[in-house]
Amino acid sequence: METISYSRFNEDILRNMSPPGRRYYVLLALAFAGVLLGASCWAYQIATGLGSAGINLPVYWGTYLINFVFWVGIAHSGTLISAILYLFRAPWRTAIARSAEAMTVFAVSVAGLFPFIHLGRVWIVYWILPYPNQRNLWPNFQSPLVFDVIAISTYLTVSVLFWFTGLIPDLAVVRDSSTGLRRKIYGFFSLGWLGTHRQWNHYGTAYLLFAALATPLVISVHSVVSWDFALSIVPGWHSTIFAPYFVAGAIHSGLAMVLTLLIPLRRVFKFEHLITLKILENIAKTIIFTGLIVGYAYGVEYFMAQYSGNIAERDTFIWRAVGHYALEFWIMVLFNAVVPLAFFIKKVRTDLRYLFGISILINIGMWYERFVIIVGSAAHQFDPYSWGYYSPTWVEFGIMIGSFSLFFFLFLLFARFIPTISMTEMKETGRHSRRENP
Amino acid sequence: MMAGCNRRDFLRIMGLAGTTALVGCSSESGRTLIPYIVPTDDIIPGQATWYATTCRECPAGCGILAKNRDGHVIKVEGNPLHPVNAGKLCSRGQASLHGLYNPDRFSGPHKMTASGEPVPISWDEGMAILTQGLDGILDRGKKDRIVVVSDLVSGTLKDFIAYWLGEMRSREHILYEPFAYEPLRRANAMVFGTEGIPSYRLDRADFLLSFGAGFLETWLSNVEYARQFAAFRTPHDQGKNRFLYVGPRMSLTAANADFWVQAAPGDEFLVAAGMLMVLTGEGLLPNISAEQKKSVASLVRGLTLEAVAAGTGVSEETLRRMALEFARAEHPLALAEGLSFSSPRATETAAAAGLLCALHPGSRETIDFQGLSELGQVDSTARMQELSQKMQDGKVEAVLLFQANPAYSLPPSWNFHKSLQKVPLVVSFSPAMDETTRSAHLILPAHSPLESWGDYSPRKGVTGIMQPVMGPVFDSRHPGDILLAAGRQLKGPERFPAESFYHILRNAWQLKGQELAPGVPPETFWQEAVKRGGVWDEVKGSKGESSGNPVRPSKFSFPLVELGNRNKKEFHFTGFPTVQYYDGRGANRPWLQEIPDPISQITWGGWVEMHPDTARSLDLAKGDLVVIRSPYGSIEAPVFPLPTVPPDTLAVPIGQGHSHYGRFATAEYGNPMGLLPSGIDPMCNGLLRPEFKVTVEKLGRRVPIAHVDGSLFQHDREMARSLTLEAYREGKASGAKPHLYLPLPEGYDPAQDFYPPHDHVDYRWGMVIDLDRCIGCGACVAACYAENNVAVVGRDQILKGREMSWLRIQRYFGPDADGIRFFPMPCMHCDNAPCESVCPVYAPHHSKEGLNNQVYNRCIGTRFCAQNCPYKVRRFNWFTFTRPEPLNWQLNPDVTVRQKGVMEKCSFCVQRIIEAKFHAKDQGRKVQDGEFTTACAQTCPADAIVFGNLMDPESRVSRLIQDHRAYQALEHLNTKPAVFYLKKLTQEPLKA
Repeated sequence: METISYSRFNEDILRNMSPPGRRYYVLLALAFAGVLLGASCWAYQIATGLGSAGINLPVYWGTYLINFVFWVGIAHSGTLISAILYLFRAPWRTAIARSAEAMTVFAVSVAGLFPFIHLGRVWIVYWILPYPNQRNLWPNFQSPLVFDVIAISTYLTVSVLFWFTGLIPDLAVVRDSSTGLRRKIYGFFSLGWLGTHRQWNHYGTAYLLFAALATPLVISVHSVVSWDFALSIVPGWHSTIFAPYFVAGAIHSGLAMVLTLLIPLRRVFKFEHLITLKILENIAKTIIFTGLIVGYAYGVEYFMAQYSGNIAERDTFIWRAVGHYALEFWIMVLFNAVVPLAFFIKKVRTDLRYLFGISILINIGMWYERFVIIVGSAAHQFDPYSWGYYSPTWVEFGIMIGSFSLFFFLFLLFARFIPTISMTEMKETGRHSRRENP
Repeated sequence: MMAGCNRRDFLRIMGLAGTTALVGCSSESGRTLIPYIVPTDDIIPGQATWYATTCRECPAGCGILAKNRDGHVIKVEGNPLHPVNAGKLCSRGQASLHGLYNPDRFSGPHKMTASGEPVPISWDEGMAILTQGLDGILDRGKKDRIVVVSDLVSGTLKDFIAYWLGEMRSREHILYEPFAYEPLRRANAMVFGTEGIPSYRLDRADFLLSFGAGFLETWLSNVEYARQFAAFRTPHDQGKNRFLYVGPRMSLTAANADFWVQAAPGDEFLVAAGMLMVLTGEGLLPNISAEQKKSVASLVRGLTLEAVAAGTGVSEETLRRMALEFARAEHPLALAEGLSFSSPRATETAAAAGLLCALHPGSRETIDFQGLSELGQVDSTARMQELSQKMQDGKVEAVLLFQANPAYSLPPSWNFHKSLQKVPLVVSFSPAMDETTRSAHLILPAHSPLESWGDYSPRKGVTGIMQPVMGPVFDSRHPGDILLAAGRQLKGPERFPAESFYHILRNAWQLKGQELAPGVPPETFWQEAVKRGGVWDEVKGSKGESSGNPVRPSKFSFPLVELGNRNKKEFHFTGFPTVQYYDGRGANRPWLQEIPDPISQITWGGWVEMHPDTARSLDLAKGDLVVIRSPYGSIEAPVFPLPTVPPDTLAVPIGQGHSHYGRFATAEYGNPMGLLPSGIDPMCNGLLRPEFKVTVEKLGRRVPIAHVDGSLFQHDREMARSLTLEAYREGKASGAKPHLYLPLPEGYDPAQDFYPPHDHVDYRWGMVIDLDRCIGCGACVAACYAENNVAVVGRDQILKGREMSWLRIQRYFGPDADGIRFFPMPCMHCDNAPCESVCPVYAPHHSKEGLNNQVYNRCIGTRFCAQNCPYKVRRFNWFTFTRPEPLNWQLNPDVTVRQKGVMEKCSFCVQRIIEAKFHAKDQGRKVQDGEFTTACAQTCPADAIVFGNLMDPESRVSRLIQDHRAYQALEHLNTKPAVFYLKKLTQEPLKA
């Protein structure tokens, strides 16, 4: 890494916080319109009933849970990059950690909405919480949905705290370079950061602690999400491979999403020298790894279905590959397990166009993976008389568009109001690199 | 409710009910339904009153008990004392409430404008129009100018109509039923010398052969025959009585046969003729007289066994074995459908079936000519043609229509409604709009049968009483009262002295009482009859030669059958009646539309069944709209590929394709009558059904078909299982107990169960469903809809897969599309329920009595329970489903009406359990076995469902699950279901 002065870091990174151009506002408005669309669709659904979505008997769970799992998955690589790689001291993570962490927070927030949207009677959702109540009832701690509530809320809390802790010194930098109301707001959020040794000491400890806390969550949260399925008895869901399979899938999709977001970001904010091609290449290499795990999991599912001798299990997997949703299944296999192998070729993983294109394909493939898992099992269970099909309605599409819009809306705000790259860590890394190459 | 109580209890309850009926519910009172300020004595809030009456949904005339709660009737059940149905009802009977509460009923009298729009008028105006019109006719002085067309009525109303018409100088009362069975009656006249329909005694037979007779669906008296069939099929020491079905389509009845002999429409006769030839030719029956031989020869002249085999595709060997089986049986019975329009040569087939029975001395025990069916009184369709002609010629000046809808049921080529337009005064007494009423000038809506006084005699020796089971729902009147008022107006009170039709009825019954029970005071006789629901002979015709009907030698002069070449491009055609729609009158009952057809599993719609191979070869897929053309007309219908018909046959259900029958009769496609000519069959005076072929042409549009099945086959999942008789016998003899996962503590094994067993207190409710008895008719499903306020969601939602049925009859074809298995599926009330563990808020809750309760109020709608239910019996409220006024009056106040966003499912009729427990607690005892039962078990005509307490080792369910046939569905999942199935018993269709 070339030597960059500390002030250059500040300058470069804070550039994204200068008044944006028209294009930004157009994008922001579009995203907001999408959020409004999603909100209206949800309001309509609450008013009429869940029948406005396409879910039915036997596919009681549709795009809402697909999107839930999808977004939780997206969230994971954020934590992976910011926490796990931090603990492993992977230097290339520094430039992207902040965005990845923001992505985590936003994705978990969006994901967290879906269980609400999915409920038949969302107005009494708080009954799922263990709180002292007149009915003298606990929630059912046997239910994976209660695990879910605990896991997701824990994850959201820890991610937000981790993200915010990392932000404090940077917010102070922003505070110091701004005036008026802006100074007050950033001043409030920088919690009186002065940059004393004592503060740096505490900061370092806290950051390490949260990183250490967040790391097991990457594994546990998606494992818990997978238990929503694995703890049921539905053929195709009831499987011990689900936890590692989901975690790998989550990281796979999350890494792809990181690429999808970073490639335009570095271009727009001219961060090419900070988020270098080397970093993107490293992500691509990790994607090869996760893609192989995911592909392995696909194979193992078939092996286990065959080996189990369970008629329903076997039939479900055969049906996934050749039945009504075969197209979705093959999209999943191709995009998640086959296409990423192209990253073995150096030319592909160092070409931005390929990187971006393949990351989009993996995103699509991972969405379809959740579709195939959820719909592909629910539609084809034990009782042949109750087999059925599912296709989403405009309400579900509206809410899906709304969820993506909300994510990008939040991300756009983030890009405008928060230093998108950790100045603190960049400076640290810069110093390290200087030390390594005197 | 009533199934388990003994006769004495029953009479005690009915005594109360009947008396209150007399006091509180005559047609003179209770016109409007307003809350009581001073309540009448017989209405105790929250307590049901049961009224006995007679079902008039079809001519079978089953006895019913109507459950009235706070002034509304909310459920009907069979009258256990009634000899026809013995406490059972079919889905049509259950849905009679939807006739009563139909939102499309006329709110009052209407006048039809020139443009055909009904305009409301007052009763005074309506009566004035009627009397003026009749007065004018009387003034002109011509005889027989006033015609009454009614459905089959009998007894007092029929007599009164005759008297009234006599006063109006007319004799023209036509009893019109689309299913008039003219060929059957004609054939019986030829063979047995009685032009009528006897009572068949399936329960006395030991071999049954049906030539197209769908006695489990609509044929004559389907509940009675379903009951008898269940008795006939009960395995005995020698095995299980065999039943063969000959016909063009795998109907519900055919599905219950050991063997379906595929025969094209009209070829049933050839099969019967072939059997006759074998029987007489090979001397299988020793005592055939020369005259009988002559009769047979005259029937089968021009035919040879080889030609029959070649023509029908039924091998000589099969024909021979069928004949042999028939001859060997002690009491064989051959039934023929005898509906003139459904197959060509219906009279010949019926005559051949009659001859089969006539040749076998043992058969006579199974045919009871003492109990002649009232259906024999129905006028032949020829009489309707005379009427059409007279109307065309301007010789009819007034037509009064009672519950008859000939404009729908007669082939459109008749142009009945055009003839009707020639009549100056057409008055319809129909409670709701229909295709014939559309042509009326005046609509004076009559009470629904459930609001009316009357009597009806389904067969000799049985007369049911109809009494109003609640006040009138709409501003309608009793048809008898309308005629009475008109008569009084025209002829003065001297000729019509009675106060109301009720008084006429009571007088008639008091007179009847003096005749039948001379010692009993007339009023007592009448009251007892009302309480009981009618009068019938306690001891039915003695065994043996009960027919009293010597077989007479007949000379048949049917036209010769031509066995020409069969064109491959054209199709045989059959229109079949279904258990739900009967002749089409059921099509405006939402329950009947919503409950799937037992065979095709289609809801809400007409369709044409086509063999899947044929559909493939014609490039037709499910829902492709085709036009079916016969030489006499054409109809449109969407194709439903289904292996229920041979590849060269098309089948369309009767009852759909209404144009003016209210908001629920929406299926615009497929009234098969559209393919028939307008002629009359001179042989039987029924509708002419020549032998014709139809062609099919694709229209290029696709109509989605709302069928509810996910697959035709079981895919080796072994849901509906069977066992051969031999294996059953061996298993039984070996004493091997079935391996069950009992929903009781003894069913738990620490090696495979993580959680400890539940401890149940006093009761652990369970159910046993005998697949060997279940005929798949769907009566239980209708009863469940009625009892549990199950929502009707309509066609659009069913297309999205959102039916709400708590109980469904799954239909599975055999692996080679041969044969059908029915598999009723309620909630299994598992002891180790997958739904309970996954709900975050304990909405599915395991009760102390083993019930898997769904607590609606706790449900937040995650739908995890339904997703995790392997039986897929949980139903989600996708919307707040509502019922148009006044259908909501039918709602059972003991059962919560669910709102959007909550899950629901079969509750084992928990409200009935609680009621029974209250009752038992009042008497300081426990609930006894059979004291009450669930709605489904209560109505099952075949008694296939038994409900009870598994903790009581003496209960019927506990004893039944010891049967070698017992198993549980998907038991390998270790859900420990509390619903047990008894495997169907199979046997070789024909002995070698």
